[in-house]
Amino acid sequence: MSNFSLATFFPLAELTMAQRGVEALKVILTGFAVVFAVLFFLILIIKIYSNIVVKLQDVAYNKKKKKIKDDEVLIKKPSKPVSSPEPVTQDGIPEEVVAVISAAVASMYDSPQRARIKSIKRSASGRSAWANAGVADNTRPF
Amino acid sequence: MEILNGFVEAIQGIFQSSGLVSLNWQNYVMIGVSIILLYLAIKKQYEPLLLLPIAFGMLLVNLYPEIMAAPSTELLTAQQCAEHGVATAGHAVRIIDGIEYYENPTYGGLLYYLYQGVKLGIYPPLIFLGIGCMTDFGPLIANPKSLILGAAAQIGIFVTFTGAITLGFTPAESGAIGIIGGADGPTAIYVTTKLAPHLLGSIAIAAYSYMALVPIIQPPIMKALTTKKERAVVMEQLRPVSKLEKIMFPVIVVILIAILLPDAAPLVGMLMLGNLFKESGVVERISKTAQNELMNIITIFLGTTVGATASGQNFLRLETIEIIALGLVAFAMGTAFGVLFGKLMYKLTGGKVNPLIGSAGVSAVPMAARVSQRVGQQENPGNFLLMHAMGPNVAGVIGSAVAAGVLLNVVG
Repeated sequence: MSNFSLATFFPLAELTMAQRGVEALKVILTGFAVVFAVLFFLILIIKIYSNIVVKLQDVAYNKKKKKIKDDEVLIKKPSKPVSSPEPVTQDGIPEEVVAVISAAVASMYDSPQRARIKSIKRSASGRSAWANAGVADNTRPF
Repeated sequence: MEILNGFVEAIQGIFQSSGLVSLNWQNYVMIGVSIILLYLAIKKQYEPLLLLPIAFGMLLVNLYPEIMAAPSTELLTAQQCAEHGVATAGHAVRIIDGIEYYENPTYGGLLYYLYQGVKLGIYPPLIFLGIGCMTDFGPLIANPKSLILGAAAQIGIFVTFTGAITLGFTPAESGAIGIIGGADGPTAIYVTTKLAPHLLGSIAIAAYSYMALVPIIQPPIMKALTTKKERAVVMEQLRPVSKLEKIMFPVIVVILIAILLPDAAPLVGMLMLGNLFKESGVVERISKTAQNELMNIITIFLGTTVGATASGQNFLRLETIEIIALGLVAFAMGTAFGVLFGKLMYKLTGGKVNPLIGSAGVSAVPMAARVSQRVGQQENPGNFLLMHAMGPNVAGVIGSAVAAGVLLNVVG
């Protein structure tokens, strides 16, 4: 296919106006047909895979939703009051920080019942949390 | 006296080798042209990232043509080697008419070596890599029908091919001229280096000039082909596209296009690789490099060396004017066909598609999409077409790469 070359078959000097017209029409037709065919095919493929992905994600979402509902039912069940002790916090750590840490930990688990914070201490590291994050970001791939 | 003679000879030598003697009128005209382009890049900010290096490359090559000179081999006798202090050891010897000559290689100019990246088709795909890292195909995935508009806008390429071949250009040259209508600089350069490298300077300059002039060229065509009612259409909001869909898109597109049209694989492949860097989210460092440092370096090399192909002797010809005129036709036709197909979609969807987004199918990302947004807001200030126009706009990048593949295959 790639050996086909109009320039090879028809050196310019020998091309009459009519031949040029014919060659131009050939290129126009091929161009239209191929560009539209490829892009139509692409439309079809995108539609198919998008539908599959959206459906799969809907199924996964519904499953997750159902699970959350089940968990909520479990929580709502009349049961003994939760007797988990309050986390031991170091002096000077405000309650807001404790609440934020608890929320972050809870968000990592599917159910709030699976995680328990026992104590919260200040990090003894010489670097700040931001510096640690920076070091981790720059050295992770090595 | 000897000292004075030596001084005069030295001055004469310097004068003989200076531009005052070696440059011709074409070089001086091109120096003027390059200064105008520098003005447009700096003062008017017309595509300055490309126009500035292009203009400076043009200036350099017309001041010092040797900067683009290819390396060669000069033949020196043993005596000449001794006079010029050239080492003979290791040099091949050729005997002509009984005289021994040493083959002494001379080096090419700086821009000659940098130009190899253009000549060998390396820079344009690398630019596409960076573009891929910066492109969000979300609007296209959310509304795949916009690919039709990206295809329609490529019609200008093939119509201009007819114009060029009628004017006497060869089929290969006509293909390179037609690709200006794709409004995609790297694609135009890639196709031209393969089909008609001698026209590279004029085609690249025409392509980038028209891309810079998108906000001036497109609106009159868009307004002439649409009614007030059509321009005021407010389109439905696009659905959100999931990360998985965005990750799958580049892989699926590259498989499909590389199998169906292998000639488009280098451009589309690099575009999709860049996009996968971006969407996967696991190679952020590479993605940043590809869209910043790498792309900037390649832009410098590409712009300067493409500009350096526009030496006076190459550029100041009738065919350059023809190319610039045909490029404008290609660009205008691409815009017109995009809008006309937009109108067709408007009719078929019962008025849900604003035909103005069709003009964005000519690539020129994101300028063409911005023009659709601006013209739409002139009719209805509360209308936001930008995201809808980004679909055909990025489809135009794929469409012009596919059109390039067709041209390379048919007339290459």
